[in-house]
Amino acid sequence: MKNGLTLFLGVFATLALSWAGLLLTAHRQIGGLGQFKDPADETLYPQPLSGLADQGRLVYQDLGCVTCHTQQVRHEGFGSDLARKWGERGSYARDYIRDQTVLIGQNRLGPDLRNVGARLGEAKPAEYAEWFYKLLYAPQSVAKGTNMPAHPFLFDVHPVAGRQPSAHALTLPSKFAPGPGLEVVPTARAVALAAYLQSLKDSYDYPTERSRNAPAPHKEAGH
Amino acid sequence: MNSTAPNRSEQIEIDASARWPVLVFFGYALGWLLVGGVMQLAAAMQLHQPGFLSACEWTTHGRLAPAAQNALVYGWGMNAAFAFGLWLMARLSATTLRHGGWLFVAAKFWNTGVALGVLGILGGYSTSFELLEMPRYVSLLLLTAYALIGVWAVTTFSIRNTENVYASQWYLFGAAFWFPWLYALAQVMLFKAPVRGVLQPVVNAWYAHGLYNLWFVPVALAAAYYFLPKILGKPVANYYLAPLAFWWLAITSAFAGGSRLIGAPVPVWIPTLGIVANMLVVVGVVIVALNLFGTLSGRHAAARNSLTLRFIIISITSFVLAAAMNLALSMRGFAVTAQFTMLDGLRDWLTFYACFSTAMFGAAYFLLPRLTGKEWRSPALVKAHFGATALGVLLMVAGLTYAGWSQGHMLNDAAVPFAAITKAMAPWFALRSAVLALLLVGHVAFLINFIWIACPINSQGTAAAVFRVPPDLSTEAHAPAGHSLKGVGP
Repeated sequence: MKNGLTLFLGVFATLALSWAGLLLTAHRQIGGLGQFKDPADETLYPQPLSGLADQGRLVYQDLGCVTCHTQQVRHEGFGSDLARKWGERGSYARDYIRDQTVLIGQNRLGPDLRNVGARLGEAKPAEYAEWFYKLLYAPQSVAKGTNMPAHPFLFDVHPVAGRQPSAHALTLPSKFAPGPGLEVVPTARAVALAAYLQSLKDSYDYPTERSRNAPAPHKEAGH
Repeated sequence: MNSTAPNRSEQIEIDASARWPVLVFFGYALGWLLVGGVMQLAAAMQLHQPGFLSACEWTTHGRLAPAAQNALVYGWGMNAAFAFGLWLMARLSATTLRHGGWLFVAAKFWNTGVALGVLGILGGYSTSFELLEMPRYVSLLLLTAYALIGVWAVTTFSIRNTENVYASQWYLFGAAFWFPWLYALAQVMLFKAPVRGVLQPVVNAWYAHGLYNLWFVPVALAAAYYFLPKILGKPVANYYLAPLAFWWLAITSAFAGGSRLIGAPVPVWIPTLGIVANMLVVVGVVIVALNLFGTLSGRHAAARNSLTLRFIIISITSFVLAAAMNLALSMRGFAVTAQFTMLDGLRDWLTFYACFSTAMFGAAYFLLPRLTGKEWRSPALVKAHFGATALGVLLMVAGLTYAGWSQGHMLNDAAVPFAAITKAMAPWFALRSAVLALLLVGHVAFLINFIWIACPINSQGTAAAVFRVPPDLSTEAHAPAGHSLKGVGP
């Protein structure tokens, strides 16, 4: 190779080819993916995030939660995401069109969060929010043995004396409470983040995706 | 075009023209290596000491870890690549680096951009996209600064005084264009006119894979292709295959990004294309290995004497290992366990640290004494740096491979509660911190030696960058110089 121009054109072509072949083609295929209207209840899915939850998404982004948490449930037969109850089904591309930024993550130092809002159990939404606040303020108080860092900066800790106690103050076991006469109140960012986490649930199963992602029937071996 | 080899005095002139730009870029690079290394160590410690630095919002793990990664990649990695790339381009093109003053301006802008970006991540303006976490406002600054630097490399290439274009030049030339295109396209597609839904992770994977394999790996290979024949004084083995390897690696690596999305909610052809590409990459890697290890064969004793070559050997071994790791992570049977574990991080660490960074260390030990006309001051520090790097890479690869694999097995066993995984991983997190601390010690040793050699008001050093002094200290004195590698080439 002696010719600079040939080199340049080659270098340009390699990247242009991969850009067109990978990104542009993918964009043409699923860039226009829209909501699905359920024929029975005439509702569009996935439903958009609430305003508060969308603010919470920004908090999720700025705190870098994606460093340790994924938001993608792998399908049946590939890992044990479903057995771990991280979702009722694997994630579909359509689930993500409601998210302005899609952070599927690539590290599972913590559990997957794609359906964390659906792990409510018997708890009421307010109780579940409280659970998230405790997890954020003192992770060990609700998830023993975790190495998730505490996020005390998402909370106001102030003396109760001389003011009306907050209705939103956390009820913490004394081991994790800041001290007598002090109360812990979630800030607006904590409220938004908890709302976002509670909004994370892909409960609707799209008929088209379901049929496309169904495992192939077993073939008879041999002739 | 002048086909005669530049003589020694021309080479001294070239080195002199590159001296200050190279020293400035290396100075910035080492500063970032230290800052990023400290942040990376702190972030690693947080995994086994969750209370460490968690009370302050700026140093919570989710911000500290990406900030450290960005400081290392854009601070250390890019600056070191600029320093080395500009010098090598000038030498191989047998022309001086002209109007180097502009490069200071570019260096200033670039590093201001990185500093603002890292502070932005710590301050809560992270975008949370891997390797693109820096807030949007710095991207223009970085691109402008890069344009100034890249233009220098390309201009130096285009006014070359040589007839032949050597392998190292292809890789440097390619990298000089690939990075800005990758970066600009990713910025546009993620922030300026964001694509929707899961296309964002696709763009992100394409960028991250491209940055490692179309920027850092080519720069490392440029170093290996240059130093091995030069120091050993023999031509590259099977050099006629080298162009094939270059184009093969370029085409296949550019498509391999999709392999990072196995099992992700994207159309299945995207990871499949990546898997196929990663299998094809092997051909290129085999040719490069034939070239480089073939050159090395029979000359191991000579290679061991050169500090630069010791680093280069770690680098090319890691290059092969990283390709093997990429291939393994592309196999669905392997990925189902290894995905999302420490093995995933090890793959990129192998490329960025064990392959690229060690190549830059080796290059620095070769070029800094030639640019400054001094020897390394402290042989003990040189040995400490090499020892820490070699041991660190070995421990990291062995430790994290085992740890990541067992982490994956536990993750895939739904009966193992998450807290049990965290508990079982704690010693491995601690090992990772210990290795990062060890590497940091090596970096400090390197920095001290660098300050000694770079400081103009300094007496002569005493340590040569060799382990046992060979009969002739300077291979350059008789080995063909600069571009005349062609002379030792095919």
